[in-house]
Amino acid sequence: MIRYRIIFMTLIVAVGTQVCLADEKISFTHQIRPILSKNCFACHGPDETHRESGFALHREESARSGGESGRRGIVSGSPSESELFRRIQSTDDDERMPPADHAESLKTVEIELIRRWIEQGGEFDVHWSYRPIINPELPKVTNQSWPKNGIDYFILQRLEAAALEPAAEAAPERIVRRLYLDLIGLPPPPEKVAEFSANPTAENYERMVDALLANPAYGEHWARMWLDLARYADSQGYAEDNIRQIWLYRDWVIRAFNRDLPFDQFTIEQLAGDLLPNPTEDQLIATAFHRNTMTNSEGGTDDEEFRHAAIVDRTATTATVWMGTTFGCAQCHSHKFDPISHQDYYRMFAIFNQSEDSDMDNNYPFYEQFTPQQTAERERLQFAINEISKQIEIANEADKAGLVVRRDQLANQRNQVSPITVPIMRDLPTEGRRQTHIAVGGAFYNKGEVVEAALWPEFAKAANQRVDRLVMANWLMSEENPLTARVAVNRHWEKIFGRGIVETSEDFGSQGSVPSHPELLDWLATEFRAGGWSMKQLCKLIVMSATYRQDSRVTKEILARDPDNRLLSRGARYRLTAEQIRDISLATSGLLSPKMYGPPVRPPQPKSGLSAAFGGSLDWDPSPGEDRYRRGLYTLVRRTNLYPSFMAFDGTNRTTCTVRRINTNTPVAAFVTLNDPAFVECARSLALRLQKESVGNNQSDRLALAFRLVLARNPSEPERTELEDLLTKQRNHYRERLDEAKALAFGDSADLQTNGEGNPIADSEIIELASWTVIANVLLNLDETLTRN
Amino acid sequence: MRPQQIQPSSIRDASVQFQTRRHFLQKCQIGLGAIAAASFSTQPVRGDETRGPMAPRKPPLPPRAKNVIYLHMAGSPSQFELFDYKPELERLHMQPCPESLLANQKFAFIKGHPKILGPQTKFQQFGAAGRYFSELIPNMASVADEWTIVRSMVTDQFNHAPAELFLHTGNARSGYGSFGSWVTYGLGTENQDLPGFVVFVSGGNNPAAGKAVWGNGFLPGVYQGVQCRSGGEPILFLSNPKGIDTSTRRASLDSLNRLNQMQAQAFGDPETLTRIEQYELAFRMQTSAPATFDISKESKETLEAYGAEPEKSSFANNCLMARRLVESGVRFVQLFDWGWDVHGTGPNDDLNHHLVQKCKETDRPVGTLIKDLKQRGLLDETLVIWGGEFGRTSMNEARGGSKFFGRDHHPHCFTMLFAGGGMKPGFDFGTTDELGYFVTENKVTVRDLQATLLRLLGLDPFRLSFPFQGLNHRLIGPTDEGKIREELIS
Repeated sequence: MIRYRIIFMTLIVAVGTQVCLADEKISFTHQIRPILSKNCFACHGPDETHRESGFALHREESARSGGESGRRGIVSGSPSESELFRRIQSTDDDERMPPADHAESLKTVEIELIRRWIEQGGEFDVHWSYRPIINPELPKVTNQSWPKNGIDYFILQRLEAAALEPAAEAAPERIVRRLYLDLIGLPPPPEKVAEFSANPTAENYERMVDALLANPAYGEHWARMWLDLARYADSQGYAEDNIRQIWLYRDWVIRAFNRDLPFDQFTIEQLAGDLLPNPTEDQLIATAFHRNTMTNSEGGTDDEEFRHAAIVDRTATTATVWMGTTFGCAQCHSHKFDPISHQDYYRMFAIFNQSEDSDMDNNYPFYEQFTPQQTAERERLQFAINEISKQIEIANEADKAGLVVRRDQLANQRNQVSPITVPIMRDLPTEGRRQTHIAVGGAFYNKGEVVEAALWPEFAKAANQRVDRLVMANWLMSEENPLTARVAVNRHWEKIFGRGIVETSEDFGSQGSVPSHPELLDWLATEFRAGGWSMKQLCKLIVMSATYRQDSRVTKEILARDPDNRLLSRGARYRLTAEQIRDISLATSGLLSPKMYGPPVRPPQPKSGLSAAFGGSLDWDPSPGEDRYRRGLYTLVRRTNLYPSFMAFDGTNRTTCTVRRINTNTPVAAFVTLNDPAFVECARSLALRLQKESVGNNQSDRLALAFRLVLARNPSEPERTELEDLLTKQRNHYRERLDEAKALAFGDSADLQTNGEGNPIADSEIIELASWTVIANVLLNLDETLTRN
Repeated sequence: MRPQQIQPSSIRDASVQFQTRRHFLQKCQIGLGAIAAASFSTQPVRGDETRGPMAPRKPPLPPRAKNVIYLHMAGSPSQFELFDYKPELERLHMQPCPESLLANQKFAFIKGHPKILGPQTKFQQFGAAGRYFSELIPNMASVADEWTIVRSMVTDQFNHAPAELFLHTGNARSGYGSFGSWVTYGLGTENQDLPGFVVFVSGGNNPAAGKAVWGNGFLPGVYQGVQCRSGGEPILFLSNPKGIDTSTRRASLDSLNRLNQMQAQAFGDPETLTRIEQYELAFRMQTSAPATFDISKESKETLEAYGAEPEKSSFANNCLMARRLVESGVRFVQLFDWGWDVHGTGPNDDLNHHLVQKCKETDRPVGTLIKDLKQRGLLDETLVIWGGEFGRTSMNEARGGSKFFGRDHHPHCFTMLFAGGGMKPGFDFGTTDELGYFVTENKVTVRDLQATLLRLLGLDPFRLSFPFQGLNHRLIGPTDEGKIREELIS
């Protein structure tokens, strides 16, 4: 028999398991449920097949009545009569719960909390995230002058309760850089920083926010976040990992963000655009969201196995992205912690199980579209064909044969312009529908009972209608479902503050963390809905707050009192994403191409000399022209071979839905920004740019410009001295080693070796350029450069 | 009481807590015991400031092995031409395969009613116990008494990518942590100036599942395998760009560090201090790695014994590199060699030409590796693993009527070899039936293998876990079906 042994993690709950004053009301949701969930639910929770002694603790009724022993689990007001309490504090190894071979015994504080909770009545309440969203009142605060909008009342209330003060507003130039990085993912141009710093009024701040939200780069930056959730990649995955053409979906996401497609519509079009009445081309392309699942075209694979795997992925991804719920756990058995039965899972699975795709190498079914260039080419050819046809009509017999051959050639050429094929969702016709079975133990071939498509009954009590993807998408966005809005606002919060109000943004279930500011979460969710699901407005709401604008400096004392900044007693500070690190280096050095959309690009990467197991070479020739310098978002994502510099900075290979990237800090990442030829090229270009653009063109002006380009501020005196010393050192160094200076200053670009008039560059200039390239390399590696502050 | 594992409160905490040692000690309920005392330390233990997620940790259980060299023959070699000698196949050569073997069976490529295929090589007896080895691998046979041979391996998967993923990450889909990343997550690594988990690829192709087989999955990125090369730059971007020599790099890092110090003082973010450390570590790696990776420092005899040639890229070079790295305190070295997928569709993937060639390329370096480790006293603490992701069929595949002999994918039995690291030397475990189709005795599952290997390293396979998407994930999967196979441990 397979026995499940779940190893429990220790939840550090922000408002959780501290002992509080004896008469304080114990919160079931925030204090008790986490203890029960982590210690007891594995054997006494929602999963009926692995329930021990018939005792279930996740529902009030069964927890009170007890299990097979007949003893009552919880007796209101009387810990001593409650079997639950007797067992957790027993010192007898045969009696104690959880059993010794299973987990550690409960901590003294935990036992004490449970005792007091039972004394107070031992009442259950609904898990916090499953409760309807109520629009909370703004809390009372003492410092009335600080709040700028609703957010700040919730933050300040907690700060005041903890006897902390909010940090002062960050310096204007820092605010500008922060805002640019958060809203469009790029560093601010120095003139924008100067403009705002000269006149940092509330109106100018708001004007800047509005301008950034209207900047097309906003869509590119926020699309990156969504593409992690959508597990968007340009290849199929598995052994062959063939390239697939699905980038029109990526472009759809960018445009959707830029036109501020409301989140409900954004959801419905991606999940069920094909089921809308008379769907537009765009709405069909949006459904590629769920065609980002992997396809296994390795010879000899069972297509049904991998089709099934794709449906499993769609079910799990939908639940994660919209409901922060770990549905995947119920694939093999009923969920151990959350109320999702094995049947519930396969009923949701059944909603997706009618799609026509079946792990085909050609990505069938797909939507065909000619690119504008292809359309122009086809029109050009058609025009030529028409012209020849006219000539044929009037030509004599001798010329006719030649013209016909020519016309056929052109027709052939036209037909060979093949459209791009975007995989899309399409359901099977009514007569060919699949029956969905429970896959026993999660194995696709192990068919159990037949189930009908249905919504998760936790939030869908009524309806007895036929459920398809469109019904499901509407239900996700309905008021019936309290999770969607909470999960979405939390994710936005996380992208801006580096951490969600619910830290486990992927899990709002009982194993996830509880919100640090539960009322704020509900308030934001309410605002989001009331604002017509506008994601731009949500971003604006967050960045307009005083909370957002705080300085991130921290003293030892504050660090001790609010170590992880859970209370938001200061501004957030965290490392940028892999794509941003590429983008800012290109942008500051002046190399970044502003070109948007289109097929994925191939920036230079080192040759590996290897191929995918059954597929083509993993190496590529760099894209020509400006495509070499496009934003990271457009870099080809080949699943089995992620672009190396992204890999070093925790990029994801997009095989599965990624809600949060885990930031690591490693020497391999340092090698990228120090030595990767792409980053060295940026340093060289930045050095050239300083030479060209610095107004006074003396050393000190150049350094100041460098700081303004990279960090959006002027250098301090010690910083200036430090770099001037390094400059002196490097000039002396390269004076003695002109070959090194040339190698660094020119790299592989022969065209840089002459000046505008075609004359060779003087040695002294080469030495300058090399020395400044070293400075630029240092600047592009600064902690502050790699950090959103 | 069982020792605790690292149990971060959430994924993000896992990254947060690695930022500083102080944080690490406070936040994460440390386990793996005393982080303060490095157990196997061969390198001097550095000051606290360099202790991070890769610092060596004492295993919670008494370890038998300290390091791993995993030689994965990607594509899966044929057990019948190497280690699982079946005279019965020879007798039935080209006879129709018994009907009973085909009932309820799925094959990747075999169609219709296949014929039995006799062994395509000769076998000889080697070592004290007179074990059978194929004539294709005389060098591996020459260390017969070092090998633990398990002929009763079984897997659930019979396509390459899923089978490789299942074997190395415990799940047939990508997105899970690989064996090497679990081991470095659990144990850290001895030498802080080199990556803890190094991967080499030979044979011209990546393994079927690509980088996912050495990926970190949901574990922090610091635990992913670092792909290195035996020819050219060993670690990606390790070398300074042209025009920046060591003195320029040192000078620029000194400046960088001082500027970062100013930043740390202004903002008080511990992450900044960690970054300074990582840049210093990168510098040390730049200094020490090239020497470690430079096989030209080996004697002519050693190079010849391995068949290694400096500056080239080959499986032989990678084997020699594996020994050098383990000797230098790298925890986990994994070699993937492509080209073992012997279907017999032509001379480039058949048993009579291609397999012979693959054995020529790999037999000498593997045999030499075992001898070399033994001679240097490293074999006791180094677990060497050799094998593919599944087995091959007893029948000839004959895809499209091919005249070349080859075998299809087979999940029901395959052979793996182990040496050193606490495995019983000269020990045979598990048997297959006369036709080598099913296991008849002592079946070893992939989960058993994972549990056993972790245990050899002193890790508790049932407790080594990481929280992700609502579950505490383990290499051995969510159930306790995997068992530590004590029979294999000396």
